[in-house]
Amino acid sequence: MSAKILQRLLVAVLVAVMLVWLIVPFAMAILWSMVDPSTAWTYPDLLPPKLSFERWWIMWQTTSLPTAILNSYSLAPIAALLTALLAAPTAFAFGRLDFPGKGLAQILILVPLVMPGFVVAIFFASILLQMGFFARYPAILFGHVILYLPYAVRILSVSFGQVRTDVVNAARDLGASPWQVFRVAYLPVLRPGIFAAFLVVFILSLEEFALAFVVGSPDFTTIPTILYSYLGYNFIRPNAAVVALILVVPNVLLMLGLERLLQSANPASVSGKG
Amino acid sequence: METKGTFVAYLAATDIGMRFDTFEALKGVSFTAERGEFITLLGPSGCGKTTLLNIVAGFLKPTRGALTLDGADLLPIPPERRDSAMCFQSYALFPHLSVRDNIAFGPRQKGLTATEVAKRVNDLLAQMALDAHAGKLPNALSGGQQQRVALARALAVGPGLVLFDEPLSNLDAKLRDQVRTEIRALQRRVGFTALYVTHDQAEALALSDRILLLNNGVIEQEGAPRDIYFKPRTRFVADFIGAANLHAGIAEAGALATPFGPLTGAGVATGAVTICWRPEMARLGPAGVNSLAGIVSSSAFQGAYTDVFVDAAGQTVRLQLPGAAHFAPGEALSFHVPPSAITTVADTAS
Amino acid sequence: MRRTLFVLLLLAPGLGLVLAFVSLVLYVAVSQSFGLYNLGGDSVFSLAHWQAMLGERRYWRALQYSAYIAVTASLLAVALAYPVALLLRKPFRGSLTLSALIKAPLLVPGLVAAFLFVNVISYHGIVNQLMLSLGLWDAPVRLQNDKNGYGVILLQVWKQLPFAFLLLSAAVQALPDAVLLAARDLGAGPLDRFRKVVLPLTAGAMQAALVLIFIGAAGDFSFQAVAGPPSVDSLATLMTSVQSTQGDWNGAAVVAVTLMALSLFGSAALAILVRGATRLARG
Repeated sequence: MSAKILQRLLVAVLVAVMLVWLIVPFAMAILWSMVDPSTAWTYPDLLPPKLSFERWWIMWQTTSLPTAILNSYSLAPIAALLTALLAAPTAFAFGRLDFPGKGLAQILILVPLVMPGFVVAIFFASILLQMGFFARYPAILFGHVILYLPYAVRILSVSFGQVRTDVVNAARDLGASPWQVFRVAYLPVLRPGIFAAFLVVFILSLEEFALAFVVGSPDFTTIPTILYSYLGYNFIRPNAAVVALILVVPNVLLMLGLERLLQSANPASVSGKG
Repeated sequence: METKGTFVAYLAATDIGMRFDTFEALKGVSFTAERGEFITLLGPSGCGKTTLLNIVAGFLKPTRGALTLDGADLLPIPPERRDSAMCFQSYALFPHLSVRDNIAFGPRQKGLTATEVAKRVNDLLAQMALDAHAGKLPNALSGGQQQRVALARALAVGPGLVLFDEPLSNLDAKLRDQVRTEIRALQRRVGFTALYVTHDQAEALALSDRILLLNNGVIEQEGAPRDIYFKPRTRFVADFIGAANLHAGIAEAGALATPFGPLTGAGVATGAVTICWRPEMARLGPAGVNSLAGIVSSSAFQGAYTDVFVDAAGQTVRLQLPGAAHFAPGEALSFHVPPSAITTVADTAS
Repeated sequence: MRRTLFVLLLLAPGLGLVLAFVSLVLYVAVSQSFGLYNLGGDSVFSLAHWQAMLGERRYWRALQYSAYIAVTASLLAVALAYPVALLLRKPFRGSLTLSALIKAPLLVPGLVAAFLFVNVISYHGIVNQLMLSLGLWDAPVRLQNDKNGYGVILLQVWKQLPFAFLLLSAAVQALPDAVLLAARDLGAGPLDRFRKVVLPLTAGAMQAALVLIFIGAAGDFSFQAVAGPPSVDSLATLMTSVQSTQGDWNGAAVVAVTLMALSLFGSAALAILVRGATRLARG
């Protein structure tokens, strides 16, 4: 009995620590983003003397933040869509076919995950320079697609593996056309996986820094590169707070959505069989 | 409960109760086992038999009741220090250890010297015909071999009590019969006390010295296999073990009024009863007493006998008749049941 | 034959593209470190860039520093994640909340994490204020950009712990209950069960976690740039500054090849060492 109480206590302490660990930093970021530009928040004030959204408004008006937001939020969905499309054939081969070298292929697709981001970014930039390719937007888009293909392939090959051969055969047996077979046997099982792959790439592209920084600098900005510009030698805490919140809040919401999706993507609820 | 003078049974469970939240898995179970006895806990899934086994092993603490082994209170002792070893349904072999190291695990934990461990392991490898596989990992073995390793691993600690949790349920039918025979032979030879959980009545009948038939967390009947089979006390027991013909009747002064007319049976009860007889006890043709007649509704040839379903007096009766004779649906059939084969059972355990 | 062609066609847009890209990047990086594909001069094979870089003190300091951060962060993250994964093996009241909180840093991009952290530990930040008001410190202490890189290690652990936790808890939860009960039944107490059963059966996941965290931490740029010691570079910040401020692509390539070698051999060495340690623990 006392062991149980001890465990409860331990859990309570852990939860409390984790909350402090998470809530305090976020509360400080919110406070900093709302410091009114007219009155600075200096030592020893415990709270900012005046709170307002003035800083948000100034940032929107005078910095390249709107462009960065536009860049990030147009890159992310296009990259996600392209990645899912390019990943699908490989995922089909991994999930539904047997061929020699499959095990090796499944490991090789993961190589970008262990490549240091800045090495990829700098030497991708070097290749672009040698090719004389200076269009930054498509270059970064291409880079994101390649970097996040492994995630999409992994997620989609699990989904393809969950498609039940007996359902495919039954549909064929009943005279369905290839398109009809895809609709009844594949699509219902694949749908959560497709959404999950899309969302994962979307989120990763939004927060990608190395490639956008190296290939895009100095004039092409995304949300992470603009955040970095306020964190580097040119450190402006309230500005950084605003950009950090713009970057992290949608990310958290999207991730929570993804969690739901991944839960509903388990085979039991898709095939109706445990 | 079986205290005769100062003698206490080797394993004694008294009024064991177990409650999980709102579910009462065991409602006061008492039983004993003598040294060297083979006891089977038999029952349908959810009857509490595995819970009871886990309590004896020490993996679960009962909410009430007492448990002693060799006269000593077992409940405060953790499983790692109990003189019992379990054979798991899934075998639970250590996947990262060779067959030899799996078997050696227990003796090493007991702190035996390397030579003692080696001797014990080699003995068991030889006994179980596992010599050729000693260096292999468990997943390189067949199901039957894994089962033997699990048994050897349990026996390696030299336990007084071996607990079996449906050890044969993952084997195919042929192998199951073979391993069953091996387990019984081994138990006789080594002399350990066995507590064996199964839902398979054939296994229980073939293996046990004594069967405890559990249902809904209580022991419905306890006895030797033949007693349980031929003298079931309740409708549940009769139905769970083998096939049974069960019909309502009224008993008065040794005679039974039944839907088939008056019958003579071995039942002792009076009043409204359920009469029970085994399908294989029926004999073809009429006789002096207990003659019945009906129309064959269906039949299925089973090899050793033919399963025949007969409509008699508005009831469906099942017969299991030896021989090669055909029974076509619609055919009239007369048969009789010897009085000694007819018993009465209670509708519920009380 | 036709089947092989079909499979190759399927793999081309996914695996094919990835492999082509990665090998091209690797090829260019290695070539440029030897003076080929030169962007600022003649392309001639030469060891001069390696000699120049290997002669620089900050190169060796960066290598040493990145290795130190990677080893410390990966060992710490795994050491912290292991007990939590074991604690959460069986669900209990509050276990879902706890595991969600542990995974929360996954939602926070690295730069944001660095910013949040810097805020908390800044000279007049909440940590200093708290310590002052508790009377534990007499004056604010400089915690940001500390010279030992503790801030970077803390950030790495904060960010990477969820990875270690996910990998380890998957492995720990895959342990069949019956196997642990069997060990118990055969006389193994808690410590023996951990040493002889849990550890060997989860060593693979532990190695995977170590390797992934090591590689991630060795190649770190953001945490170093924001919270790292100002006097030292990590290999990634060194590479970037050599390339962007000096325009020396070949020097950057030397650092890049060094970083990849560190990732490969360092993580392998760490994994082998830890494997050996678990063997020893098994007895």
